Amino acid sequence: MDYKYIEQLLERYFQCETTLQEEAILRAFFQQEDVPESLMPYRDLFVCQQQEALTAPLGDDFDERLLAIVGEKPQQEKARVVKLGSRLMPLFRAAAIVAIVLTIGNAAQFSLSPRNQNDDINYSEYTDTYDDPTVAYDQVEGALQLMSEGLIQSQRADTLSAGMRNNTDSLVRN
Amino acid sequence: MKQVSFRNDILPLKNELYRLALRITLNPAEAEDVVQETLIKVWNRRESWAEIDSLEAFCLTICRNLALDKMKRMDNQAQALDDTHDPPASDRSANPEERAVQRDRIELVRRLIAQLPEKQRSCMQLRDIEGKSYKDIAQVLSISEEQVKVNIFRARQTIRQRFIKTENYGL
Repeated sequence: MDYKYIEQLLERYFQCETTLQEEAILRAFFQQEDVPESLMPYRDLFVCQQQEALTAPLGDDFDERLLAIVGEKPQQEKARVVKLGSRLMPLFRAAAIVAIVLTIGNAAQFSLSPRNQNDDINYSEYTDTYDDPTVAYDQVEGALQLMSEGLIQSQRADTLSAGMRNNTDSLVRN
Repeated sequence: MKQVSFRNDILPLKNELYRLALRITLNPAEAEDVVQETLIKVWNRRESWAEIDSLEAFCLTICRNLALDKMKRMDNQAQALDDTHDPPASDRSANPEERAVQRDRIELVRRLIAQLPEKQRSCMQLRDIEGKSYKDIAQVLSISEEQVKVNIFRARQTIRQRFIKTENYGL
């Protein structure tokens, strides 16, 4: 394998002409197992650099100690301002989803289900009720009588209320 | 300027600050003290966080100055870096003996860096270990970019020469 590039980089490193990226390449190169004999002397320098960068001796206890000195509680002490709207947002969302699902479900049920055929008037299914024409005539007469009574009653109520309205109108006018 | 949080923006810098402090003081306990003092100092200036360009550079500057103060007070620059933390075990060599040799060699590099003058050491630390640009280092050390380059150049040359010397004469 050709190590000219690395040798060149090394030379430029010692001349302080390498960029940060090139120095990172050198460190990465010397991390690998098989470094050629000629470059071996420099390996430790770059391995050492890499290792030093990873040392992190200050742990969480240091954090806690410092936060205690500084007076910042370990937990967030600042009260956050929460608006009612944003607080209830999940609820609104859930309600909206339920509403959408119900609407779609209803619409689907209505459009997909077969129409109820029973409501249609089908004269062929009608059967005679009475054998005697006179009995049938009496029944029809009774039914019509009931209807006309209803009509007359409602008409009377209409005229009565109209008259009252006229009376109040004239009273207001006077 | 976004809201700066001590916990999330400044505290995570602790290990970087520690490494710089250790590089200067060469004493883990002192380095930890320096980091603590640095962070407290930064906290006390929290009103002006919003006006600071780079909080990281700001923290590093304070850390370096405090470490230098400490050095001056202790005046123990000769103390070697013997009782430092163990480096993370490298899995490159499976054999324990090889690993021990490897650790010794890493220790040698560390000692070589420790023998450099403080300015070169700090420059090298920030460049080769923390991966900072010349401009950032210049800002932290309050010197020109050219001076940073010169310091790093001298540091690398010294390391190279001593390295080759030890290689030739054995450990």
